[in-house]
Amino acid sequence: MKLELGYIDIKGIRFGDHNAVEDHVLVVNPEELLEPVLADPLIKTAHFEIANPGESIRITPVKDVIEPRVKVEGPGGIFPGVISKVHTVGSGKTHVLRGMAVVTAGPIVGFQEGIIDMTGVGAEYTPFSKLHNLVLVMEAVEGTGQHEYEKAARMAGLTTAVAIGELARDLTPDESVVYETPTIAEGYQEPLSNLPRVGYVMMLQSQGLLHDTYVYGVDAKRTISTLIGATELMDGAIISGNCVSACDKNTTYHHLNNPVIRDLLEAHGKTLNFVGVIITNENVYLADKIRSSDWTAKLAKFLSLDGAIVSQEGFGNPDTDLIMNCTKLENNGVKTVIITDEYAGADGKSQPLADADDLADAVVTAGNANEMIVLPPMERVIGTLNFVNKIAGGHDGSLREDGSIETELQAIMGSTNELGFNRLSAR
Amino acid sequence: MLTSSFQILTNNPLVAESFSERFHVKFFDDANDRDVLRNVRDLVHLGYRVLTAPLSGSVKPWETPYRSVMMTSDHGDEVDAFSLDIMERALAVIEKSKDRPWTYTPSVLYDFQVIDLSLIESALPSVEATGRL
Repeated sequence: MKLELGYIDIKGIRFGDHNAVEDHVLVVNPEELLEPVLADPLIKTAHFEIANPGESIRITPVKDVIEPRVKVEGPGGIFPGVISKVHTVGSGKTHVLRGMAVVTAGPIVGFQEGIIDMTGVGAEYTPFSKLHNLVLVMEAVEGTGQHEYEKAARMAGLTTAVAIGELARDLTPDESVVYETPTIAEGYQEPLSNLPRVGYVMMLQSQGLLHDTYVYGVDAKRTISTLIGATELMDGAIISGNCVSACDKNTTYHHLNNPVIRDLLEAHGKTLNFVGVIITNENVYLADKIRSSDWTAKLAKFLSLDGAIVSQEGFGNPDTDLIMNCTKLENNGVKTVIITDEYAGADGKSQPLADADDLADAVVTAGNANEMIVLPPMERVIGTLNFVNKIAGGHDGSLREDGSIETELQAIMGSTNELGFNRLSAR
Repeated sequence: MLTSSFQILTNNPLVAESFSERFHVKFFDDANDRDVLRNVRDLVHLGYRVLTAPLSGSVKPWETPYRSVMMTSDHGDEVDAFSLDIMERALAVIEKSKDRPWTYTPSVLYDFQVIDLSLIESALPSVEATGRL
């Protein structure tokens, strides 16, 4: 599969009387762009706000972050099976509005979490502080069920991102990068045949309301482990329906820009042969966990992998899947590195995962989500602070009188992301 | 019959209300999350097997006051090592987690109940597709 990503750099967002990308600035006509959002009978109010890097702005509670893209050549469209028809994506040409995102905000449940600070110490912990964010703030009609509102908010974000992506269809990219993955047969020819065969096992959160992920529109909890092309993700084959674990959930932005995939493609043909991506779920039912991890190991063996990288999503329950995947891969002779994060207490001294095994002897950690942080007050809040005392990592009195927040890292969007999509590292 | 093949232990009134007529539900009113898991663990020692992850979702133990776990309703003669291991690990996580010093408003409590119900509900299609648990 071969996909060319044409990056169009966005250096600002402003409101105007039309929708366009002009001189690297996204111009938004809010009325026009909100029309499809407000057409949903469940959405009572919706409005846009703009947040730029360095501004004294706090966005919370954030649901999803989405990068606008448009398919300009090749089969299918962005977010197949959800917004576009279900055709297989990942080949041809796609334009990316780089440097910006659509951020959906507003509480789905009363303990909703997720903070993006655009400046200050908190901004260092979230990659989204470096983007020009068009924030879609929504409120549901009273009495709307949590499931229904989660879906409405999810669709509103995706619809808006696709409409914005469409504005870049006829633009000339500032940079183009071609990503190409080989077939199995090509992988056995020189020079790839001399390199170690490495696969990527991507775990997807799939446990129920606020914990869901969709693959080509299929609820991931109703899937068994399968293969997906690395470039398919770049066209939005996987989207987030996940609103818990702000620090270590994968937003749709993460799925589109998966750094494990990007690094493996970068190393492909040089130090390793990137054979493929296995996606596997994280279910509540224990037999599902056993089946899915068995299938992960089976597919890895089928692909004759020498090594695998496994990335986790979420906390607690998925620790079991992580260790099952790791041990079964290792027992099949596949050398395995896991990427996770830690809940090791404020002092970092507690057992960081809910499961462990001697075979999990190569671990990359994305940080300790329990670490305390004080976020300074911001001049402007997009969304609401009413829920800060109830967000993960917050506690009674988290929100101080001056507007500062004492909380754990886990309240910050993407702070300990288990794809390694973080701004801080020990490197 | 399906309803006799598993039971649900919970302190979530919404799970009790939603499932009691269809399935065997042991509702621990006023019990905390630790109590529910300890009861599950004790049944594991009597030969019952655990069917769903005791740390069901990614809502943190120091956030949600609710736990629901699905188990077999029949017990074997031996202790299931996998069930015991997963329960002891879950209890270790819950017991090390900090206390919840604040009280939630009824609407936030209800949201936690809805999430917990959704997590245990997500196992139903799988259990229904299984012949012998």
